[in-house]
Amino acid sequence: MVVTFLTIASFRFRDATVLIDIESLSLSFTFSAFTFIRSSLLLPFVYSSLKSPDIETWQRLDLLLDATLTNQVSSKASISQGSALFRIAASVFTEIPSLKMIRDASLGSSKELRFHHAPIFGLVCGLLGMDAETSQRAYLFVTLRDVVSAATRLNLVGPMGASVMQHRIAVVAETVLEKWKDREASEACQTSPLLDVVQGCHGYLFSRLFCS
Amino acid sequence: MATGKVVVEKIRGRSTATSCFSKYPLKFILPTKVAPVGTDVVWIYSITYGGGIVSGDSISCEFTIGDGCTAVLTTQSSTKVYKAIGSKCSEQTLEVMFLSHVCYNHLSCARIGSESLLVVVPDPVTCFSTARYYQKQNFRLLSDSNLVLVDWITSGRHANGEKWDFEFYKSINNVYLEDDKPLFLDTVLLEKRNIQSIAERMQDYHAIAMVILFGPKLRELQKQVQENVKNMMSEQLQISYSSRRHNPDSRVRNGFMKPEFIASCSTFGPEGKGVVVRIASDSTESVYNFLRQQLGDLEPLLGQSPYA
Repeated sequence: MVVTFLTIASFRFRDATVLIDIESLSLSFTFSAFTFIRSSLLLPFVYSSLKSPDIETWQRLDLLLDATLTNQVSSKASISQGSALFRIAASVFTEIPSLKMIRDASLGSSKELRFHHAPIFGLVCGLLGMDAETSQRAYLFVTLRDVVSAATRLNLVGPMGASVMQHRIAVVAETVLEKWKDREASEACQTSPLLDVVQGCHGYLFSRLFCS
Repeated sequence: MATGKVVVEKIRGRSTATSCFSKYPLKFILPTKVAPVGTDVVWIYSITYGGGIVSGDSISCEFTIGDGCTAVLTTQSSTKVYKAIGSKCSEQTLEVMFLSHVCYNHLSCARIGSESLLVVVPDPVTCFSTARYYQKQNFRLLSDSNLVLVDWITSGRHANGEKWDFEFYKSINNVYLEDDKPLFLDTVLLEKRNIQSIAERMQDYHAIAMVILFGPKLRELQKQVQENVKNMMSEQLQISYSSRRHNPDSRVRNGFMKPEFIASCSTFGPEGKGVVVRIASDSTESVYNFLRQQLGDLEPLLGQSPYA
């Protein structure tokens, strides 16, 4: 099947970056490929963080992820989303004072912490007492939802079509979750280098709907 | 025990390989005539007997680069990984340490780090059908060490119709600063058993490459490469976009063709001191051309341009 790029609409919506093709089959390839990347690269960080939700582990994982997320576009998105999540979680879940405590201690720290999204997601889930499988599934859900939502915003697929697609991909996402769940951060890897290359091209686009 | 070991140190002011050991299936060749006389560099060619790695081969190398030295590590031709027998995997590991003399002499405390340069510019790895390959390269740098690292893979033997037809490929490139501080950690995994085949994930691209540039000596080169990639890609993306706009029939999307060559740059590390370029191309030749052009400015330091 000939795959043509409609537009390298490489963008970020929260932490989503998508390579879109008009053929719906290719669109689902993109979504599935993207789900793979997030699983193999970031799910291990979510898992490692929620397994031991304490300040030392979280700071170590944050620095580790910063060295691992070498794609600038992806990295900035992760930092932006992670900072926001941490800020909100610390304010909302006042019954868990350690969230605010860890955040305050880290903001003032001399270490070059970045506040990446995946470890913070895991930290919050861990402190909330969510089990590992639910937390990792939630992370994948958020990723898939963001990607589909971004495609809708770019008018590349209608809201109904997006829902159909998300439902179809959910099956794939479950399989992917089975494969990549419950792994330590040291096992993180990327499985779709092509998408990595394309995502890095975000800054070269003439016009962008979302900020980088 | 390591299959290969090389130590490069400054002897009488010149980068010299003071130790060079290799055993089957690996061989090192250190030709002295690569660079013009007077260039301070050691060129190291890593050769495998038979031109490739067979199932079950395990090659491990250690390189030590001393203060202020310059070394180039390259291959004679692409590393072919032959088909796997059973589930045996072929593997290569590489450990590189940049050492300052400060490490040896505890009384001396003035100098921080070396100013050495290591350029790793191999030919690509080509995995044949059903091959299994694992590669791990660890680099331990000081904060003013310099590293150029190219790591790339092609889709296989096109003539035989093999397109991303191998079983397993895992390439780990880890770069650490002092005190084991992680600077750049990258693992690429391409595995046949995934839900989506490797060929599907790669679309019609036949070569994937990564170039890392880190260190104070490479600042100009980094800027130049970033500028070149930005210009090249902006032009490609804008042309493609405008050709789509001119197509009145919105159902026919063939106006926008895939770029034959995509590259993107990212910075990494403290204060963005490192640059990584990621490349996808539909031909190995265009990647060679790109590498030759972008790394050409290294010629004065190395005596010869990589991929010449």
